[in-house]
Amino acid sequence: MKTLLHMQGLTKQYGKEKAVDDLTFSLLKNTSTALIGPNGAGKTTTLSMLAGLLKQTNGTIVFDGEVTEDIRKVIGFLPQYPKFYSWLTALEFTEMAAKLSGVDHKIAKQEAVKTLEFVGLSDVKNKKTGTFSGGMKQRLGLAQAIVHKPALLLLDEPVSALDPIGRREIMNLLKELQETTTILYSTHILNDAEEMTDQLVFLRKGKLVEQGSMQQVREKYANPMYKIYFISTEEAAKFVEISPWPARQEDSIAFIHLEEEKPVMNEVLRVLADSQLSLLKVERATASLEEIFLQVVNKDE
Amino acid sequence: MDLESIPWMLILPFIIIQLILMLVAIIDLTRVSNTNGPKWLWALIIVLGNLIGPIIYFIVGRRNE
Amino acid sequence: MNNFSVLFQKEWRENLRNFKILWIPLVFLLFGITEPLTNYYLPQILNAVGNMPEGTVFPFPEFTPEQIVMATVSQYQFIGMLVITLGFAGIISRERKNGNATFLYVRPISYASYVYSKFSMMCILVIGSVILGLLANLYYTNVLFGPVDAGAFVGFLGTYIVWLLFVVSVVLFSSAAFSTAIASVVSLALVLFFQFIDALLGAYWTISPWKIPMYAGYVLSGSVDKTPFTWSLIITLLLVVLLIFGAVYFAKRNISKTKI
Repeated sequence: MKTLLHMQGLTKQYGKEKAVDDLTFSLLKNTSTALIGPNGAGKTTTLSMLAGLLKQTNGTIVFDGEVTEDIRKVIGFLPQYPKFYSWLTALEFTEMAAKLSGVDHKIAKQEAVKTLEFVGLSDVKNKKTGTFSGGMKQRLGLAQAIVHKPALLLLDEPVSALDPIGRREIMNLLKELQETTTILYSTHILNDAEEMTDQLVFLRKGKLVEQGSMQQVREKYANPMYKIYFISTEEAAKFVEISPWPARQEDSIAFIHLEEEKPVMNEVLRVLADSQLSLLKVERATASLEEIFLQVVNKDE
Repeated sequence: MDLESIPWMLILPFIIIQLILMLVAIIDLTRVSNTNGPKWLWALIIVLGNLIGPIIYFIVGRRNE
Repeated sequence: MNNFSVLFQKEWRENLRNFKILWIPLVFLLFGITEPLTNYYLPQILNAVGNMPEGTVFPFPEFTPEQIVMATVSQYQFIGMLVITLGFAGIISRERKNGNATFLYVRPISYASYVYSKFSMMCILVIGSVILGLLANLYYTNVLFGPVDAGAFVGFLGTYIVWLLFVVSVVLFSSAAFSTAIASVVSLALVLFFQFIDALLGAYWTISPWKIPMYAGYVLSGSVDKTPFTWSLIITLLLVVLLIFGAVYFAKRNISKTKI
C-alpha cells in the first residue's frame, strides 16, 4: 500500500519541555490511524503541526513523496472543541469552508448541502450554529472537515465529548469515509479505536512508545494468562515458589503468563493438585483494552 | 419657547434616529444569548442612557462570540 | 486576491448580523446632527430651563459654519474614535482567542486576503459612517448657520478620510499583533493619547499624522499651509501601508496563538 504521509523526527519544543519528541511514523493511503495516549501526551500538538497551526521545532513531514511545509490544501481538520461563528447558519458555514478550501464556487453550495446530509444535519442546515448542541457541533465540525474531500482527515478527539449514541454515529461516519480518505485521529479512550482503526500509535510524554495494528498490540500485551485464585495470600505465595513456570502474585491471585500456548491447563492443574494448596478457581484470561492501554503508556517508566 | 416655534423639521430626525438606535440596541439585547452583566440592567442603560446608553451597550455589554 | 470575496462576505454577514452596520452609522449621524442643533439652540434652551432674571443676555459667540463643522469633527475625534477603537479592537484577536479562526487557519487562505477583507469592511463602516454623519452635519449647518464652500468641504472630507484610514489600520494592526485587551490599549494610545500629546507639544513640529484632522479644518477654512500638509498626508499614507503589511505579517505569525 502507498504511503500518504510520513513524518520523520517530528519535534515540538516549548522552552526546555518537549511536547512532541522525535516522532516518526507513516500513514498508509486510505487507512486509519489512532493516536492514543493520556492527556498531555502530545496528541493535539502533533495534529496541530500536521494541520499547519504550529510549526515544528525539528523534523520533516513528507506528503505523497514530497517534503512539504504546508499541507493545508489537502487536509481536513476537526479540533477537539470546534467553535463556530454563531451568526452563520450551518449551510453558510459549510459553504464558506468549501470555498476557502478550494472547491469551485459554483458547486460549493451543492457540496455543502450533500455533506450536511451525510453528517445528518439536513434538517437544521438553515439554523444559526449558535443554537447547536454539542453533538450537532461535532457533526458540523466533521462536515467542514470533509466538504472539500481532503486526502487526509485529521481529527482531534472526535468522539470523547459525546454520549455513547453520538459516539457510535460519528464512528460509523468515519468508517464510511475511510474507504476514500486517510484518517488520523487522536483519542484517550482505547475502546474508541477498536473497531475501525488499522494502526495504533501510542504516545507518552511526546514520545512514541508503541505502534502496530490492534491485533499486533493485543498479541503483544494481552498475552493470555492463567489466573489462579487461592484462599489466602500465603497460599498464593507458596504456589509462586513451587511453580515450575515463571509466576507472579497479586494478593491471593497468582498469574502465569502463557508463552506460545505453554503451559497447557492440564499441566497447571496437575501441579496444583500435587501442591495440596487450597484452591478456589482457575481461569484463562486476557488483558482488557483498558489494561493494555495502561500497560503500554506506563511501560519503561 | 412655545411649541410652535420649535423647528420640528430639524428636531424630528434627531429624535427618530435616537429612537431607532435605542430600538436596535433593545432588539439586539433580546436576541443575544449572553451579555456582560444582567440583561435587565442593560435594558435600563439603553432606555435611560439617552444617546450614550446604546453605544455603551454595543461596546461593553454585548458579548461577541 | 484568492478567497477575498469569500472572506469579505463573511465579514459583511457578521457586521450585518451583529448590527454594527446599523448602529455605527447611526452614532455618527446623531453626533453630526447634535452639534449644529445644540450650538444654535443653546441660548434658547438655557433661557427655557434656566432661572435667569428677566432680561439677562449671554454674549453667545456667533459661529461660522466652518466652526460648526469642525466642532463636529472634534466630537468625532473623541467619542467617534473611542467607538472605532473599542468596537474593532477584537476584529482579529477575538477570532484567535475563542478558536473560531482555527477553521480559517487550517485552510489554504492567503493572510493578505484575510486582513484585506477586514480592512475593507472596517473602511466601509467607518468612512461610510463619517461621510453620512458629516453630510447630515453639512445640511444642518447650512440651514442654521449658512453655507459652506462645496470645494473646501470636499477637500476637508478627503483629508479627514486619510486620518480615518490611519485609525483603521492602527486598530487592525494592533488586533493582529496583540490580544484584544492590549490591542484596545495600544490603539487608544495611538489614536487618542498621541493626538493629545501632539496638541500639547505639537508646536515644535508640523508633519504628523495626528495633525491631519487639524489640517482638514484648515482646508475647510481655506488657510492651509501646503508643504507640511502634503508631507503629513504622504507620511500618514505610508504609515497606513506599513501598518497593513504589519497586520498581515502578525496575523500569520500569531496563528500558533489560536485556541485549538
